[in-house]
Formats: sequence, structure tokens, C-alpha cells
Amino acid sequence: MKIALEYQKIRRVGIIPGCLAGGLLASFIPVLELSVRSEQYQGLLEPPLQTILQADWQMMGMMNMLLVITIACMMYHTEYADHAIRRMTTLPVTEEELYFRKCILLSGMWAIVLVMEMLSLVFCTLHWFGGKNGAYAEFVIDLLQNFGYCFCMMLPVIAISLLVASACRNMWTSLGIDVVCVFLATMIPVKYFALSLFPFALPFQILEGAEEGTIVGYLAAAAVEILLTGAAEMIFLKVRRSFA
Amino acid sequence: MDVRLTVYTVREPEQTIKQAAVVRHSDRTGKKGVKNMNIIETSNLTKTYAGFTAVSGVNLHIRKGCVYGFLGPNGAGKSTTMKMFLGLTKPTDGEFVIDGKKYPGDRIEILKKVGSFIEAPAFYGNLTGEENLDIVRRILGLPRSAVDDALELTGMVQWKKRLARKYSLGMKQRLGLASALIGRPPILMLDEPTNGLDPVGIHEIRSLIRRLPEKFDCTVLVSSHLLSEIELMADDVGILNHGRLLFEGTLEKLKREAAMKGYPTDNLEETFLAMIEEDNRQKGGVVR
Repeated sequence: MKIALEYQKIRRVGIIPGCLAGGLLASFIPVLELSVRSEQYQGLLEPPLQTILQADWQMMGMMNMLLVITIACMMYHTEYADHAIRRMTTLPVTEEELYFRKCILLSGMWAIVLVMEMLSLVFCTLHWFGGKNGAYAEFVIDLLQNFGYCFCMMLPVIAISLLVASACRNMWTSLGIDVVCVFLATMIPVKYFALSLFPFALPFQILEGAEEGTIVGYLAAAAVEILLTGAAEMIFLKVRRSFA
Repeated sequence: MDVRLTVYTVREPEQTIKQAAVVRHSDRTGKKGVKNMNIIETSNLTKTYAGFTAVSGVNLHIRKGCVYGFLGPNGAGKSTTMKMFLGLTKPTDGEFVIDGKKYPGDRIEILKKVGSFIEAPAFYGNLTGEENLDIVRRILGLPRSAVDDALELTGMVQWKKRLARKYSLGMKQRLGLASALIGRPPILMLDEPTNGLDPVGIHEIRSLIRRLPEKFDCTVLVSSHLLSEIELMADDVGILNHGRLLFEGTLEKLKREAAMKGYPTDNLEETFLAMIEEDNRQKGGVVR
């Protein structure tokens, strides 16, 4: 119910069409890739899902992140643009509640985008790999596991981008900070595990082909980053209030 | 003539905020001996920013069911005091009680009882007036009819479907008022609510504020820098200057005190200006 309230606030801002368009665009990447050079991938031994994700997820991940940070900035922009946040703070609702509701709403939007992308993967697998190769027995389970893993890897970015957006009254400042973080993440060499735990580098990770220990490590890191970001937001809001 | 101004309060300074808040007073109609509970009380309320005191040791006593005019020149500390009541800024010193609830422990409980309009209208520009009020209604857990009620009270019914960012300043002001009035809260805090309104709008809002206590059994704290405006609305006034409370009481009491101190009393605006001028002179500040 309270999440619906946050949804109501972002009406007519273009977030929902933007979210769907962004999801569609990212979903189109594997379709485009395979329609142009499918013969390069069809002979490989790895499962089709792994092949597609390894080929396209870097770009899809980047687009997903840019989409998520833009939505996060716009969500808080609606609060700051006409001082609506000031009215909110004079109502029996805390800024911490607003933050956590926005986190849940943005996570829901991310899930919708992910569903679109997973449907695109299903289409690509069946269309280009077909038959026994494509629809192998554990395909659905693999797909759902990948869905869950990718969903979790984006959560720290959602939490951090909303924290930054809540801290900056100017949307361009928060967007700038987030974009710098995204590009910083692309420069991090993936072979160093510790460096790849940078929150904005996590959405580039895929489940397929990864070792179990590494998967657990990334999931644990994501959980810790979410908790730390939540705690940081609460401390930040408390400090900001005390200086008001 | 050396006239010295002192801080006038309704109650004795040694009386603490925790003591019973029942005071005797004369109401606007001149009836004596009506017992009223103070719904808002402050004790030595102070707010200091780096090297600047916005509010200094203010002791307010706002009776339940009255319109309390909070008067003072720009920068006197009216908005800061109201912000402290709403928990938007933290008092540096002192305390306050609103309807028996104490800040900061009962902040959320206080906010449930207070409808507020501080500084300038605050709204979601991408939503219509009606949708903006609906958000407030849902947060407060009010019935759907509360939105129509607030729109009707502020004369916004015909513009309810228009996007708030397309509103004129006066309409934004009315939307802010509707947002404060929604659910008919027992306490209203209105910071210069007639700013930006045309003369007809000013008259309508003044009449509405004047009627509110009687109509909805609520208490209104309304700030302005115009005594002429407060005079038409308020039962009691509190005059602030440089963060200090110069006077608190009824308008009749203000006239009496002013006459005693030798201030002009024909026109309350002049009385007010003389008080402020004298205070500024004593402080060695700017003389208007």
C-alpha cells in the first residue's frame, strides 16, 4: 500500500515508459547480436544461456545500471523539484521510510526489466539454438537462477544510487556521481576478486560459468553492501536533520 | 522619553512547562473567566545557528481553540519557531509541548495532529492538485472525502484536475492551505498564508482562518509581518523581533500596554512599528 504511494508520486514523469523502453532496448541486444553473427556461437560446447550471457551481459549490465541510476535520480527529483519533500517531512512519515519504499519500488521495476531481458534470452535460445541444445532439461532452472543472481547483483547499486539521490537536491549532481561510479566499475580488472566487489561492478557478474565459492562471495558482498548502504542512509539523514 | 521594553508573557516566568497549563483570560468577545488549556507551550525555546540566534528564549502560550497571530518583521524568527514545532529544525535549547506531546520523543504523534503550511507551497509539480492532496490523505489515513472537503474549503474545486506546476502563485498557495487543512487537524500552523494571493483571495483566506476554530474546533497559529492582517484574524498575538518575544496577549492588552509605554495606539500598525523600533534601538540594531 505504502509502495503504491511512492508509485503515485512518479506519475507523468516518464519513469515507467522509460523503464519499459530501457528494458526493451537491453533485451534487444542479444537478439541483434545473434541475428548478425549467430554462426559464431552455434558451434560452441557451452550451454546457450552461458554463451549468450557471456557475449552480451556486459553491455546489458551497463545499460541496466544506467537505467537504474537514472530512475533513482528522477525519483528523488520529484521530491526536491517543487519542495514536496518539505511537505513530506511535516507529515507523520520519516525520510528513512521514504528511502526504503523507494528502494523496494525501484527493485520491483528492476525485476520487470529483468523479466523482459530473460524473455529475450528464452527467445534467442529457442530461436537460434533450438531443439536439444536450446531447450535442455535444466534450462528453466538455470534461467531462474540467473534471474535471481542478476537481480541480487543490482540491489547494492539501487541502494547506493538512491542514497546519492537523496543526498543531492540537484538531480544532475547525483546522476553525475553515479555515472562516474559506473564508468569506474568498467575499468576495474575482473581478475582481482576484491576489486570486483565494488558495488557498481557487481551487476556485470553472471552466474553461468562462475565457481560456487565465487558466487557465494559475490552474494555475501551484495548483502553486506546493501546493509551498509541502508545504515549509511539512516546515519546521513539523522546528521542532516541535526544540522537543519 | 526613555521607554524600555520587556518581554511580556501571560504566565509567570518561573512557572514550568510541565505545570498545569490552565490560564484565565479574556476572549475576543470580552467574556471573563473562561478556562482554557494551552495547546502549545514553549519554555525558553532557543535556536542558534553558527554565530546567529534566530530564536532566543521564547515562552509561548497558545490557547486551545484560538487564532494566535505570530507577528514580527522578516527574519524575526517566526518561521524558525514553526519549523521547530514541526521537527524540521532542532531547538538548541528549551522545550515545547504540543497538545500534551513533547518533542522530540512524540514528534510523529505531534505531526499527526498538526496541519502545516511553512514558508512556500510544497507539492509534486507532476501531479494534479487533487492527486497531491490524495497523497497527503493516504499518509494520514483519511477517508477519500477529505480531499474534496479540503478542495472545497480553499475554493480549489475547479482547478483540481490541473497539474500543480501549472498553477499560478495564488493557486499554489491555496493548494498548500488545502494540504494543511485536509482532515481538519486540531492544530494548524500557517506561515504567511496570504502571500501571493490577490485581494479577494486574501479576504477569503482571512475569513476562512477566522472561522476555523469555531467551525472545526481547531487552534490556528498564523504568522505574518503585517499587523493589519493579524488584527483581522487573531484572538491573541505574539510579537517577535530578533528572535525575542516582545509581547504576548490579546489585542486589547497590546493596546493597553502600548498606551502605558507611550506608543501610538490609534493604529495598531504604528504600535507594532514603534515597539520594533524601540527594541531595535535598545539592541543597537537597525532603526526602521
